[in-house]
Amino acid sequence: MSYCVHCGVELDPSLKKCPLCNTPVLDPHVMPYYEAASPYPTKRGQVEPVKRKDLAILVSILLISCAVTCGFLNLLVFDKNAWSLLVIGLCLLLWIICIPFLIYRKTAPWLAILFDALGIAGYLFIISRLTHSSDWFWLLGLPITGLAAFLLELSMLLGKKLSHSFLSVALYLFTDIALFCIGVELLCRNYIGQELKLVWSAVVLTVCAVFIIALSTTLSIPRLREAARRRLHF
Amino acid sequence: MIDFSYFFNTFLLFPANFFLFEFSLLLFPKTDILISMKALVSVSKLTAKEPRKIWYKLDLSAIVYPTLQRKDFSSVYRLSVALKEPIRPEILQKAVDMVLPRFPTYKAAIRKGLFWRYLEPNNRPGPFVQPDIMNPCMPMPFKANNRYLLRVYYHECRISLEAHHSLGDGTGAMCLLQTLTAQYLRLLGADIGCGGFVLDIHEKPDPEELEDAYMRYAHAKVRPPRLSEKTYRVRGTREPFYTLNIIDGIMSVSQLQKVAKETYHVTITEYLNAVLLYALLQKQASERSGRLLPVRIAMPVNLRRFFPSKTLRNFITMIYPSVDPRLGDYTFEEIARHVHNYMQFYINEKFLRGDITTNAATQSHPLIRIVPLFLKDLVVRTFYAKVQDKNSSAGLTNMGALKTPEDMAPYLERFDIYMGQPFSSRTNCAIISFQDTLTVNFASSIKEADVEQYFFRRLVQDGIHVKIESNRDLS
Repeated sequence: MSYCVHCGVELDPSLKKCPLCNTPVLDPHVMPYYEAASPYPTKRGQVEPVKRKDLAILVSILLISCAVTCGFLNLLVFDKNAWSLLVIGLCLLLWIICIPFLIYRKTAPWLAILFDALGIAGYLFIISRLTHSSDWFWLLGLPITGLAAFLLELSMLLGKKLSHSFLSVALYLFTDIALFCIGVELLCRNYIGQELKLVWSAVVLTVCAVFIIALSTTLSIPRLREAARRRLHF
Repeated sequence: MIDFSYFFNTFLLFPANFFLFEFSLLLFPKTDILISMKALVSVSKLTAKEPRKIWYKLDLSAIVYPTLQRKDFSSVYRLSVALKEPIRPEILQKAVDMVLPRFPTYKAAIRKGLFWRYLEPNNRPGPFVQPDIMNPCMPMPFKANNRYLLRVYYHECRISLEAHHSLGDGTGAMCLLQTLTAQYLRLLGADIGCGGFVLDIHEKPDPEELEDAYMRYAHAKVRPPRLSEKTYRVRGTREPFYTLNIIDGIMSVSQLQKVAKETYHVTITEYLNAVLLYALLQKQASERSGRLLPVRIAMPVNLRRFFPSKTLRNFITMIYPSVDPRLGDYTFEEIARHVHNYMQFYINEKFLRGDITTNAATQSHPLIRIVPLFLKDLVVRTFYAKVQDKNSSAGLTNMGALKTPEDMAPYLERFDIYMGQPFSSRTNCAIISFQDTLTVNFASSIKEADVEQYFFRRLVQDGIHVKIESNRDLS
C-alpha cells in the first residue's frame, strides 16, 4: 500500500506515479520487478466507421441515369445536334463536385479544388465546341477558371503554412477578391480588344486595400491583434 | 363522423406508395430507402387493423444532445458495476438479449424528421458485448454499431454500460444496468428477485416508463428567467483525439458523512460540491490571470425525487451552485454554508417546476416547432457553444446511495459512473455510492489534473482516507 507524499492519497498498487501530481512512488519494501495489474483495460478502442454509401450511390445513380437517358434521347429522337453532351458534361461536373462530400471524404481540399477547376474548364470546353466559338473559351473561360483556382489554392497553402486565424483568413480573402477582380477586368478588356487598364476593378482594389492594410497592421501588432480577437470573437 | 384518414390512406396514399415502392425496387434493391418505402406501404395497408408503427418523440432534454454531436464528441455516459467474480461474456450476451426488449426506448435508433429527431425501435442484431477499452465514452455515431446507442463492455469483474444521453438519464440507465446484472447473475444460478432498479423482464413495459415526464409537470404559471454569466474556464492542454483521462477516488461513506455532518453541518452532496468549488477557486487563483471570474458548477438534479414518475428517459434539470471570488476571499466553511443555503433555496418542488416550465416553453412554442431541424440544430449548437457551455466551470453529478435488491447485494463490489467526455476542455465529476463505498469519478480530456489534485487534497486535509485509481498514462 503506497501513499503519495505530496497529496496524501493512497495509490492503487498499479500506479508508479501519483496521477494527481506526478510524484513517483518510491517504496523500498516493494520489489522493483513487482508489477500489479491495472484495474483499467489496456486496449485502445476505435469508433466504428459509419457507412455513408447510400447517398453516394443514390446521387451517382441519379446522375448516371440522367446522362444515359439524355444520351439515348439525343441519339434516337432529337438527333439534329449533340445537345446531350451539355447534360452529360453537367452530370459529370456535379459528380466531380460531390466527390469530397459524398464519395471520398478524405480527398485533400487542394485536390478537390483542382478537380473542380478541371471539371469546370472541361464543361466550358464542351460548350465552346458545341457552339462552334472557341475564342471566348481560350481568352476568358479557361484563364478566369485557372485564376480562381490558383488564388484559392494559394490561400489554402498560406493558411496551412502561415496562419489560419480568423484575421489571417480575412486578409487572404480580401487579397483574393482584389486580384481576381483585376484579373477578370484585364482578361475582359483583352477579349473585346480594349486598352489594358483598370477601371471598375480599381474601385474594388481600393476598398480591398483599405481592409488589407487594416488587417495587416492589426496582425503585425500583437496587442492590437489580441484586442481585435477579443472584441470580434463569436 | 366521417373518417377521412381511411379515405386518404386507401385511395390516395396506397397507390402512390405502391408506385414508389415498385420504382425503388428497380433502382435501389438494397438501400435504406427501400426499407422506409416498405414501412410506408405497410402502414398505409394496415392502418385499419394493426397498430401503427411505434416511435417515440425525444424528451425535452434529449432534443439537445444529438444536436451537439460532433466527430469527436457525443453525449455519452458510462455506468459500471464491479462484481466479485470475473465476467463470462457469453452469459452476459445472453442476458443483454433477454433484458433489452424490456427497455424499448433503449432498444432504439435515432432518426431525423423534418422538424425533430425521434426514436424508433431497432430490431437489428446487437448490441454485442465487447472487451472493455482504455478510452471509455468514445463518440457514438448514430449510424454505427447497427444504430444502437448503447455499448456493453466487460473487463475482469466489471460490466460497463455506455448510453447516449438522448435515450435517458443516469437513473434510467441504472435500471437497465441493474436489471442486466440481475439477469446475468440469474443465468449463473443466483436467485435474485425484482424491485427497486431491477425490473421484471417478463412484464410488459409500463407506459409511464416511456413517457416524457417533463411535459406532465411543466405547468407553472410563471417561467423564471434563466441567468447566464461568463464563468471561469479551466485551461489545459488538450489530449489527443479519443483520450479520456480518468481519476477515481474511493472513500468510505461513513467517514465522509461524519466530516460533512459534524464538521460542516451539510449533506455529502453539498460537501462534495463545496470541495469542487474550492478546488476550482484554488485553480483559478494559481493561474494568476489577473481577471477573476465566478466559479460555477453545473449539477443535474433528479426530478423523480420531487415529481413522481417511473420514466426511464431523461428527467433531470440543471442547477448551478457558484461562488464569486470578486466579492472577496471565501474560506472553505463559507463555501460549504453558501452551497448548503443555495441547495435549500433552489432544490424544491416549486423552483424546479418553474425551471422545467421555462425549458418546456421553448420546445412547445409554435414558431420554434415549425423551424426545420437543420436550422434548429444550427441555432442550438451555436447557443450551447457560445453561452451554455461557458455558463459553468465544471460538471458534477451525484447518483446518491444506490439501492439494490437484498439478494443481489452480496454479489456486488462497487458501482462507478462517468459523465463522459466534456464538450470543451474541462473536467467532469460524477459521484456514486454503494453500501459504505463512495467513488468520485473524474473524467477529463486535458493533460493537467490540477482540479482533481486540489479536490482530493482537500478531502485528505479533512481527514478522509482516499484511494486513487487512474487510467492516465504517466510514463
